[in-house]
This record gives sequence, structure tokens and C-alpha cells, in this order.
Amino acid sequence: MDIPAGFRELTEATGFTAANGPWFEKVEGNRVWRGFMPGPQHANALGIVHGGMMAAFIDAALGSVVYRAIDRRCVTLKLTLDYLTPARIGDWLEATGELLGHDEHVAQVRGRLYGPRHDVLAGLGDFALLRPGRPLKVRS
Amino acid sequence: MSSEIPDNPPEGFKLVDFARGRPEPTFNTHVGNMYAKRGEKGTRDEFVLAIRVQQNMCNPAGGLHGGMMMTVADLVGTMGGGYLAGLRKFLPTVSMTFDFVAPARVGDWVEGRAELIRQTRTLLFTNIYLTVGDQKILRASSIAKISSGDGTGYTKTEASVPAAAT
Repeated sequence: MDIPAGFRELTEATGFTAANGPWFEKVEGNRVWRGFMPGPQHANALGIVHGGMMAAFIDAALGSVVYRAIDRRCVTLKLTLDYLTPARIGDWLEATGELLGHDEHVAQVRGRLYGPRHDVLAGLGDFALLRPGRPLKVRS
Repeated sequence: MSSEIPDNPPEGFKLVDFARGRPEPTFNTHVGNMYAKRGEKGTRDEFVLAIRVQQNMCNPAGGLHGGMMMTVADLVGTMGGGYLAGLRKFLPTVSMTFDFVAPARVGDWVEGRAELIRQTRTLLFTNIYLTVGDQKILRASSIAKISSGDGTGYTKTEASVPAAAT
């Protein structure tokens, strides 16, 4: 698999993320990019990348954008997605976004998922911010 | 797909055969088993898509992963919405909005139902709810494209098996 420079694999993945990975991340300062290589297991009946897979991926990427921008862990409250063009199996897909605003409880973020040729998915999300320093309760 | 707990689908639910003989798993089979029920026309159960929440569908906090919820909702919007509208072809999703209302846990039986809002010549508008028992866990709205002509059809699909979508 040809992974672009600067991306590292998210090895701490569990459950759904692990089952549908590997996912990769690149961090520069407080900006973040997520990427993955769609395989046959990510395809739908037409042989293009499944909308549910891309939804899951951009959701996680937007959550990561919030975390890197303001150092707060978060969970998704609301996500709006526009499917712009199909994505092909075997074409590296990348997602990034920007924080539009936030208060103590909720952050708004906008992002996009794109392939080598064009934007695939546009996303807009509201994320509930967890209390700072609150450890994520991880169940194995 | 290994299941840590038995799916035990309630009566009337059948495993959806997304693979239809294809050797390689696609996303719909890879994420885990999905079940469909087709109840009486015009009733709440006219089309229901369901899953038993397994560990490999979960997030690190032990709840059903939002990505899995969205995957099921996406399928309910296209497969279920298409079924309610009497369309037997692949409906690509154009737009979806999700509100994450409540979590679901490993072992929960999650059901998804679609409500037809409007059908135009080229678009299908649906609302979708995922529920665990009486509790709503996800509210979604979907716009799917109705392709002109026959689109990608499901002529090879058995009548008893819901057409795969998205």
C-alpha cells in the first residue's frame, strides 16, 4: 500500500475502526489529515466505496480536527453529509477540516473527503465536547 | 465474520444476502450481519433492517460506533426507502443528515425504519430512525438519486432477498 509521506497508522484502533482499517493520520501543528486506502471490503454493490464507510471515516476525521484544534475529546451530535462524486477502490482517500467555532459544550466543524481527482464528500458536524482531562472510558 | 454473541434475530427477520454469490466480501457483509423483515404493506414494519450489536461494530467506549449507525441508516434510506417506493434499482445516496440521539450497547437489537417523505422523478426523500426497543438512537434524513432508466438493477436478486444498495 502506497501511503503518502507524513501519515502514520492509527494502531490504537479497536472494534469498528479496527475492523474497517487501517486508518492513517498526519498532524501538522493543530491541523490534521486522515487517510485510508479503500479495498474490496469497503465497496458497495456497484464496486465503488460505500457511503457508510465514508460517513464513518469523515466522522472520525472531523472529531480529530476538533481534538487537534482545541485539545478536547468529543462525540458526534449531528453530521450532515453531501455525497458529491463516487470514490474508487484503490484510490487513496483523504479527509481534513476546519473548526468553525465552539463554546464550552459544542464545537462546529466543516470538512471534506477527497480522492486524487476531486472532492468526494462534504461534511458539516456538531460535536459535543467532553470535559477536559476526562479520561475516555475504554471497554476492552 | 466472527460473532461473539448469537444474533438471535426475532421472528420474521432474515439474514440479508448482500454477497449474492460474490466471493469477495463487500462493505455490507464485512461490517457484520444485517437482517431484514418485510411486514404487511402500510404498516410500521413494512420494511425493517436490523443488526445485533457486536464488539466489532463498537467504539472504544463500548457503544455502537457512529459509523455503523450511519451505515445502517444509509441502507435503510436507499434499500428501505426504495422498497417502500416500489423501486427495484440501486439508489445512490446524495445527502444525509444524522442526529446521534442515544448510544446502543453490545447485545442490543437495533432496528431501522424509513418513512417516505416525497418521491420526485429523480429524487427520493426519506426520514430514518434507528431504535433499540422503544428508544430512538439515531434520527436521519436522506436524499437518494433515482437514476433514469433501469439504473443498476437487481434482476439477479432472489425475490425474498432485499436489494442491496449503497
